[in-house]
Amino acid sequence: MTPKIRLQNISKRFAVGSNVVPAVENVNLSLNSGDFVTLVGPSGCGKSTLFNILVGLLAPDSGGELHIDGKLVAADHLLGRVAFMPQRDMLMPWRTVLDNAILAAEIDGVPRAAARKRALDSLDRFGLRGFENHHPAQLSGGMRQRVALMRTFMFDRDVMLLDEPFGALDALTRAMMQRWLLEVWEGAKRTVLFITHDIDEAIFLGDRVLVMSARPGHIKMELPVPLPRPRAPDIITSAPFVELKRTLLAAVEDESRKAFAAMNREILPDPADA
Amino acid sequence: MSAPSAPVPAVPGVPGVAGNAAIQLIALVVMLAAWEVAVRALDVSPGKLPPPSAVFATMWSGRVALAGAVGTTLYEALLGLAAGIVFGVLSGISFSRFRLLERMLLPYFVASQAVPIIAFGAIIVMWFGNGVASKAVIATYLSFFPVAVNTLTGIRRVNPEEVGLLRTFGAGTMEILWKLQLPTALPSIFTAVRLAVGLAMVGAIVGEWFGASQGLGVVLLTAMFDNHVEQLWAGILLTGVTGTALFAAVVLLQRKFVWWHADG
Repeated sequence: MTPKIRLQNISKRFAVGSNVVPAVENVNLSLNSGDFVTLVGPSGCGKSTLFNILVGLLAPDSGGELHIDGKLVAADHLLGRVAFMPQRDMLMPWRTVLDNAILAAEIDGVPRAAARKRALDSLDRFGLRGFENHHPAQLSGGMRQRVALMRTFMFDRDVMLLDEPFGALDALTRAMMQRWLLEVWEGAKRTVLFITHDIDEAIFLGDRVLVMSARPGHIKMELPVPLPRPRAPDIITSAPFVELKRTLLAAVEDESRKAFAAMNREILPDPADA
Repeated sequence: MSAPSAPVPAVPGVPGVAGNAAIQLIALVVMLAAWEVAVRALDVSPGKLPPPSAVFATMWSGRVALAGAVGTTLYEALLGLAAGIVFGVLSGISFSRFRLLERMLLPYFVASQAVPIIAFGAIIVMWFGNGVASKAVIATYLSFFPVAVNTLTGIRRVNPEEVGLLRTFGAGTMEILWKLQLPTALPSIFTAVRLAVGLAMVGAIVGEWFGASQGLGVVLLTAMFDNHVEQLWAGILLTGVTGTALFAAVVLLQRKFVWWHADG
């Protein structure tokens, strides 16, 4: 099967003062249609750089290749082709829940009335029924993330990129949001790349878990998650889950230690990690 | 669209807008009464400070002419303010878009504000005539600057990540301006407009001093030359009331259009 998106030998270096700092180096990664792939890595491993390349905001250094549906494309070709959900919800305070949810679709050219109608029909799925006319300031953190996710889903693209969408939520809300996201994803088969710091989350959600190395980031390990779907909440205490977690923890620990040591040597922030 | 009640910070002991208006009205009445009593009790000569009752009597007897004067000055100020806002917002947008333009022109914008309007008011009246146009031009000249600067800083404050997000949705420059940058800058634009309202009033009145047949500036100037102190005070009070009314109108518009911003 031709992968939906394939990155081959993607590197990106930044000039920081008089230094040239590699953020990611020789990243190889494929997303197949309908995949739910999760990506974990130590802080500052260049995840944001990788994401910005995948959404077309950042051009990789020459030498790497981007393929969509088997076709080689230029970096900015990806702009407007991947549904991106950033870490912060970035809802517009002057727009209602409904109008925030349709923002991407509206920019995509869907007439406002049609987009609103479609959004009204999917309010239940996102647990926002009755809140369509509220403004973001009136919502809890979990609800704001759901509005941002709804905006991402309503931007009808085959590939979705979610950057630590539940990172700021408390543990209980986060667990509920994970189960809910899987339900929504199973109902609307999309290809998902999901970034997280949380190994449990990575295993619980993913078909595959990718581990990114310390800076300069590359894909250090790729681990299939052969757990059956739909996944029950208590799967995280099952033996196969724990085994996967052990493997991943070892890999991530190793990279975190390297990242921490590097951080102590010199502080070089990833320019794309705001 | 229903405005939410949550983000409005409640000040303990202040019962909302209507309550504020009532308290302020009481304060005004108390101040006027104190003025009246003080002038009478201390036997101040009416040539120095007339009692408010005499000022109101003058206002009432000259009400038709004074209303005309208020109307003229208000019209000039509003015209100038509108042009100043349009010009200011457009310059702010252009500067935010083209750094080179900002570096070329912004220093001259700043310098233009350092030249007191008194210095070339006469030239503007010679160019634009004795009518409304010259006053509106002066009001525009005074009011565009804060609007331009605040539009620029408001747009600059937009988070680049938010611009990036809109670009991933396929948004172009104009869409980013309309859907993100201008709404984000709106609170700071309104702050500038509050300032510009007072400047536009000053512009209209100063413009009238350089040559006009009608307006609050003419009322003030004639009263001064005629040594008509009650009329002078009538002019001062009406100028204050007109300026305050304009300011209040802007605050109301701000509450309506940028309600999501806490200090609006």
